[in-house]
Amino acid sequence: MNLRQPLHKLVAIFRRDLIITRSYRITFLLEMLEALMGVASFYYLSKFVQTEALARTLPQGHDYFSFAVVGFAFFDYLTVAVVAVELSLREARENGALEALLVTQTSVPLLLAGSALYPFLIASLRTLVYLGWAVLVFGFPVTSANWPAAAAALLASVLAFAGLGILSASYILLFKRGNPARWAILGVSALVGGVMYPVAVLPEPLQWLARLTPISYSLEAVRSALLAGASFAAVWPAVRALLLFAAVLLPLSLAVFAWSLRRTKMAGTLTHF
Amino acid sequence: MFAFFSCITTVHAKQHYAARHCCSGQLVAPVLIVENLFKYFPPAQTGWRAMLQPLARATFRALAAVSFSQEPGTAMALVGPNGAGKSTLLRILATLLLPTRGTARVAGFDVVRRPAEVRRRIGVHSGTDGGFYARLTARENLRFFATLNNLRDAEARARIGELAEWLHLGPVLDRQVRMLSTGTVHRLNLARALLHRPPVLLLDEPTRSLDPLAAASFRRLLRDELIDREGITVLFSSHALEEVHALADRILLLDSGRVLACASPAELLRRTATDTLEAALARLLPSSEPKP
Repeated sequence: MNLRQPLHKLVAIFRRDLIITRSYRITFLLEMLEALMGVASFYYLSKFVQTEALARTLPQGHDYFSFAVVGFAFFDYLTVAVVAVELSLREARENGALEALLVTQTSVPLLLAGSALYPFLIASLRTLVYLGWAVLVFGFPVTSANWPAAAAALLASVLAFAGLGILSASYILLFKRGNPARWAILGVSALVGGVMYPVAVLPEPLQWLARLTPISYSLEAVRSALLAGASFAAVWPAVRALLLFAAVLLPLSLAVFAWSLRRTKMAGTLTHF
Repeated sequence: MFAFFSCITTVHAKQHYAARHCCSGQLVAPVLIVENLFKYFPPAQTGWRAMLQPLARATFRALAAVSFSQEPGTAMALVGPNGAGKSTLLRILATLLLPTRGTARVAGFDVVRRPAEVRRRIGVHSGTDGGFYARLTARENLRFFATLNNLRDAEARARIGELAEWLHLGPVLDRQVRMLSTGTVHRLNLARALLHRPPVLLLDEPTRSLDPLAAASFRRLLRDELIDREGITVLFSSHALEEVHALADRILLLDSGRVLACASPAELLRRTATDTLEAALARLLPSSEPKP
């Protein structure tokens, strides 16, 4: 299979997004400063809430600041995954480029993957900036971090989250506005995913629900690798669960997107917004 | 009158389904073949029901039993009042809409079963000045769409240079699209449609928002360069009859989704015993007949 052409196309879509963002430089700068504000807020919040009892409930025995910063940064990843394709689709529809894209010789899955590439890169950069600010200014502990294990968990998370993003985009393609899919994915993940508090503090039914959300596995693996230096073998069960999510969600979401596209082509609502 | 011209359409369609002889004596197969095409849309809704439109039952008829064919290297004009089905037909051929019934083939490929093959052979000009990334330069936009149409970097560079010279885009290639005039964006739109050297061009009111001089220049370019020199097949919709006269080898007249006539401009004039296209179309369109 010739991979050169699809890669070339992915690079072209990435370059397009890079050029567009470069023309709004101040936005990028503000986002980086916003990360500093977010990290600082968690630092002072952790000073306020940190107690012996709280420390005992946190996994790996780390402080609340480290726990919350990792949760916050990776929730940002999930948000990007869920909204990136949808935003790209909405923008293309509003500026009239959607039809021009759909009559090219590039498949819809490749267009979707390409559209998510730049937002994911920016989310990665933002995560690094969160962690960078946390390490440099607020003493976030990274000396024992197992970076390759964290990277593996991150990669598996991206694949699992991408499926959720395509499902959310399918909704927008079909129904145009007001996205309950996005609301459900992000709302449920924020509530039960262990972003700001450990899943263990939730009642049993919500803990059960947490097991059905990819972000809970993602945070479990990334926190173990970053904060406790867990080995690859130790994070493998969570990574495996994320890969399983990806194996189910990616084909399912692509099939749902293809069906939605077909419906809009039948109804003639492709360019409506 | 209606029945008479429906008959012309049927005869033409039948003639074109079979391969025809061109002047050189070689067999020429039609590049566009549309057979008994129907398209129904869900009726337009307002309020919260509009959201469910894609799932609603399609009951509004946009095309009914449309059949025609077009030979390579010719221009056919889609003519008819607003809502006649011209854009719907073009969008089905561009694989942007799915027909309800019937078949449409481009260069032998069915638009429903082989859309990727169809897209390889068509260039689409939407007739609007949208569809580009405003913050990218004209060159960056063309390069982006060239890559999505499988052109390699060197090939894309050469083709963009060639089209820029041809369409007089050279001086504006490195300007952001948001800075370009409507006429220039139209030419850019045409350049995009031609990037991958498609044998068929589908144009939806290509001169809609152009001033008269720019429109005349655009027509000359289409007729002299694309149709006559390059042998590209052009199917275009238009409300401008001087454009239809200047470009079209044949006219497909649509009204309420039905074909009223499919003939050359001269044939239409002869058969309606009129001396202008305007008068001929007025005779053919039932809605334009004087009410008793």
